[in-house]
Amino acid sequence: MSKEMKANNTKKRLHNVHLLKPGEYYLQGSQACIEGAIMAGCRVYGGYPITPASEIMEYASRRLPQVGGRFIQMEDEIASASLLIGASWGGAKALTATSSPGFSLMQEAISIAIMSETPMVIIDVQRPGPGQGYITASQEDVMQARWGHHGEGSIIALAPSSVQEMFDMTIEAFNLSEQWRTPVLVMAEEPVAHMRERLLIPPWNEIEIIDRKKPQDLGIMPENYLPWGHDIVAPMANWGEGYSVNFVGLVHLEDGNITKYGPQMHYDCVERLFRKIEGNVNEIARIETKFLEGCKNLVICYGCVARTAIEAVIEARKEGGLDVGYLRLITLWPFPQEKLRDIVGNVNTIFVPEMNLGMMKHPITEALRDRFKKIVSIPSLGVLHSPEYILSKIYEEIR
Amino acid sequence: MSHIERYEIRIAGFGGQGVVTIGRILGEAFTLYEGKNSVNTQSYGPESRGGACKSEVVVSDGEIRYPNVRKADVLIALSQVALDAYIADLKEGGILLLDPNSIRNMPDRHKYQVYEVPAMEIAYDIGGVRFQNSVALGALYPLIAHIINESSLLRAISENVPAETVEINMEAFKRGKSYVKRDEGK
Amino acid sequence: MKKHPMLKYLKEEGPLGQRMPLILCPGCGSGQILNYTLHAVDRVMNKDKIRKENFLFISGVGCSARLTSHYLNFDSAWTIHGRTLAIATGSLLANPAFKIIVFTGDGDTGSIGGNHFIHACRRNIDVTILCINNGVYGMTGGQVAPTTSVGTITTTTPYGNIEEAFDLCKLAEIAGASYVARWTTAHPHQVIKSITKGLRKKGTAFIEILSQCPVHNKLSPVTMLKKLKENTIQISKEKESGEGKSLIGEFCDLDKHEWNESYQKLIDQFDHEEGKS
Repeated sequence: MSKEMKANNTKKRLHNVHLLKPGEYYLQGSQACIEGAIMAGCRVYGGYPITPASEIMEYASRRLPQVGGRFIQMEDEIASASLLIGASWGGAKALTATSSPGFSLMQEAISIAIMSETPMVIIDVQRPGPGQGYITASQEDVMQARWGHHGEGSIIALAPSSVQEMFDMTIEAFNLSEQWRTPVLVMAEEPVAHMRERLLIPPWNEIEIIDRKKPQDLGIMPENYLPWGHDIVAPMANWGEGYSVNFVGLVHLEDGNITKYGPQMHYDCVERLFRKIEGNVNEIARIETKFLEGCKNLVICYGCVARTAIEAVIEARKEGGLDVGYLRLITLWPFPQEKLRDIVGNVNTIFVPEMNLGMMKHPITEALRDRFKKIVSIPSLGVLHSPEYILSKIYEEIR
Repeated sequence: MSHIERYEIRIAGFGGQGVVTIGRILGEAFTLYEGKNSVNTQSYGPESRGGACKSEVVVSDGEIRYPNVRKADVLIALSQVALDAYIADLKEGGILLLDPNSIRNMPDRHKYQVYEVPAMEIAYDIGGVRFQNSVALGALYPLIAHIINESSLLRAISENVPAETVEINMEAFKRGKSYVKRDEGK
Repeated sequence: MKKHPMLKYLKEEGPLGQRMPLILCPGCGSGQILNYTLHAVDRVMNKDKIRKENFLFISGVGCSARLTSHYLNFDSAWTIHGRTLAIATGSLLANPAFKIIVFTGDGDTGSIGGNHFIHACRRNIDVTILCINNGVYGMTGGQVAPTTSVGTITTTTPYGNIEEAFDLCKLAEIAGASYVARWTTAHPHQVIKSITKGLRKKGTAFIEILSQCPVHNKLSPVTMLKKLKENTIQISKEKESGEGKSLIGEFCDLDKHEWNESYQKLIDQFDHEEGKS
């Protein structure tokens, strides 16, 4: 990051005297994500209580006014997600947190946010379903994250696995949402939301904060401004800045026109939304690997299951003498197909432990279709896998 | 202080017995004041087997990957239900700290190192059942003194209780510490 | 020919292309309401010296919703059906200085938006809600609305509506709005006055405007405007000859705490000055 950006970031944050100072803290994941949000500049939170995400909201209600932000408990999740759209276009970085049933309710708003290219962040502390669900561990929304909104387009979804990552990746979520003008999802689980661990807050000027590009900064005057043009990610004029911006949630041309409708116009508009994210997957998506070099078998995981998986992999290698590699999807969507193909060689068996009956297994299968002999789902519903459980499945297959 | 590869403490009891608080204080003590890594988790409902509420602290000088207890080094059981539910996950020779007034069926004293402290009774004596956390922590301290300084525990307690009750909690801790005794069985 | 004084607030071209021909059906009351609204906005902008940038028009879905974004030379939003008030709340949280006008309809307010409507009034957030009530779901082809009177035949009540209609003004008043009024498109001066009052009111102003839908009622606009006059009665005159007529007038006009005003007090508790912590 440049010296100027560092100085700018520090200046921006000096007035927020109630930000956590650099140092060590012992916090819950629920608290860490709020600290990350306000560090990223989030100053609007609107939510609805739902177990196991309510702690996030409760903590937000305390912290937001302390940093000059505004918090509101809305009447339901639909209102909360809609509120984010209004807040974002009003110029603020906005956040809500919910759990799976609430996430279902938010899908229409997410769809509108995708079409209108609205930066906003939603944290989903997943819980098992379907239906009312229970309040324990789950990764059952990871497909809904990508496909739950009606219509085409794409979206960004991150999967944190620790308290530190709840902080870091909420900041990353805001940065991605501002940079790519898109809603971003943080797909958490109950264990990571409720666990307490050390949180390390670095010096403020070392934290990169990205803000949406604005036409003013690029010297584009209101009369020349194309709300959905100028670049694949259009600079965003907010309400109240004199640009007379007309928000629409419909297929449109670069100048906002929705009437010159036709199949080509529709394709151009929606395909660009899709390509904006999917075409930049290599820049957006992150993965983490260990023991990959020449491994004969591979465990691919994400979220807090990754913590069990790495424990199992290390033991399988040490005690079991097995040549197993480890790959963690930090970004679930856009799915890093190319990255996976670049680094994963031919393996015998791929194991995919998930707290669902096998969801990310599908894009993994598609990506590595010609690189494995067998792919094995290791499901666990409602409870985090234990290392013993994953090990038993690995040994069953390859010992 | 001994180097810790991975040390696992589990606390279990009914809701309201301070199970979660004990875990949180331990976690904070180890992390912020001992400079170790720790993960503190808790669960309720069927996850906690039969209505027991449990809290766990996994401590390490290195990185902690799997965040939950695999085989506990210490089990603090504040109710019979909790003891019955979690005794099987305690290492052989592991430390078991009980409130004898809550336990009717004692476990095998040869299989585990069994200690007792009538935490609720002592707490009532001092000023109320809400001080039972500190009594239990005081009783625990000598059993894990090889991996934690007393000052760290005391500091964590004082940071996590209302300011006006710090003194009483310190007293509760002291009483727990001086009372705790090994139960060798009959 | 002299230009209409409110034309300066409309774009020649917007998301809906050229302004003329209008999207609205011939004789639709929404056009009049837009005119009245712009008069009120013009008044507030000039007399109270509110900057044009501060005005924000939000609508949901339906005939009423077509008034924003297509022609307005202001910041505006054509958003999700029923969720306008939640979106307005979000904008106010981002920037309490916005002067928000919400165009909504009987379905957008009374049906899918009902919950958000109740809570916006309860919170008394600073919005001016213009509910264009034409007693039917016009845009989607003439289905029954929560404000359709008993007995009316619509595309989803082919044998006559058996449900009672909502009194949206009563609902707004009980929920907690600061200012509640009802007029019709046949009462231009009253509407302009109420909208002006609403814009100046700190809190929720709910103004229901009974409007004609000539297409679905299969009557001429002139006939409908006459009926609007005949079938409504001012509150003060209700006792004299109010049988079977809709009440129009101002139902309440209170000075209450507005949401952002109250929340600002929370924020002010915390010292935000540089260097202090």
